[in-house]
Amino acid sequence: MSDTKDIRIITRPTKEQIEQAKIDFAPRCTSAGRVNDKETQKTVEFILNFARKHSLFLLAYGTGCGAIEIPATLTSRYDAERLGIRGAATPRQADVLMITGYLSVKTLKRVIRVYEQMQDPKYVVAFGSCTINGGMYFDSYNTIKALDRYIPVDVYIAGCMPRPEAVLKGFAKLQEMIQNGNAGNGECYRKNLDWYRANQRKVIKNWDFPDEYNW
Amino acid sequence: METIITKLNEIFNVRPKILRDRQITVEVDKNRVSSMLLYLKNQMGFIHLNHISCVDWIEEGQFELVYIVWRPEDKTTVLVKTRIDRENPEMENIDTIWDQAHTYEREIREMFGIEFPGLKAPREFILEGWEGPPPMRRDFDTRKYAMETYETRPGREDAQNVREYITKRTGEKVPDFAKKYSRD
Repeated sequence: MSDTKDIRIITRPTKEQIEQAKIDFAPRCTSAGRVNDKETQKTVEFILNFARKHSLFLLAYGTGCGAIEIPATLTSRYDAERLGIRGAATPRQADVLMITGYLSVKTLKRVIRVYEQMQDPKYVVAFGSCTINGGMYFDSYNTIKALDRYIPVDVYIAGCMPRPEAVLKGFAKLQEMIQNGNAGNGECYRKNLDWYRANQRKVIKNWDFPDEYNW
Repeated sequence: METIITKLNEIFNVRPKILRDRQITVEVDKNRVSSMLLYLKNQMGFIHLNHISCVDWIEEGQFELVYIVWRPEDKTTVLVKTRIDRENPEMENIDTIWDQAHTYEREIREMFGIEFPGLKAPREFILEGWEGPPPMRRDFDTRKYAMETYETRPGREDAQNVREYITKRTGEKVPDFAKKYSRD
């Protein structure tokens, strides 16, 4: 193991340089796409979708008044965790982005950044009539009216506000869509990025995102 | 209460009115606002600035600024009101008297377009990248702006004007200026 390829040089905070052997990672598991046999692929996707739909990690983006329904849904009265739904701490750990009300232009900027940080497969649940057509803020000068012009949405839950039963019904619909392979919108977003970006730039007048977002 | 009224009357030649229990309202000229606020703060013990509020009197072509100060001893509030012109509105900056006035002045500057020369941070406050006219002015048509700026989903065209429906049902009389600046 004296080959130079297996040695890496690390600079410590004290500017001292040390040599260390490279860590030998275990070979990665092959993903579902690498299975050539169609029948086997079907089975693998069934199992993967089954696993996905029963562990939905939720990033609750609490805007507007809908944020108050999330604690009720997640805690012991309605207990969403029996369906595998629980909170996630950061966007990179989350599967579901939940937008719980009206979005002002200022908030939309943050939502776009959060959405683009999430990893595939990712789902978006929009909550309340404000995200559908503006709701009671339909003539407000500073809120967007239709969320799916800016980021793709899987499930809309109508109501002002939807009760926790309605929220759970929406999640049941999402689980059904995941099992059938209809959910998951990261690919849709990447394919139609020009359209989404054009819409976003139309309302966000001072586009000052970091360079990673300016694809 | 009485001493405040007589003192203000003596010094500034104004007529304070008792609004209700422990509330006094006084109207002054725009140039004497800061001296009156300084007098109230230093001599009368009104050490706390509650709020600076702005009213748009569009029919008279004026803005009204209301400075609300309060003193803790007898929990008395004084509302110092002043009128300024609606064309090129400009008002004296009082953030040297109270630091918190800075926040209220920035808000009024953004929402009503009133300039405060010498403001510490004359930049945007709540609205990010706002390019339209000041949104809290009464001649700003929020619905028209929203329809032009944001994409809407079709299906709300047959929505009723609720205000019109209520006035028809109750027989309430709406003044002409309210009709002019109502939604439709």
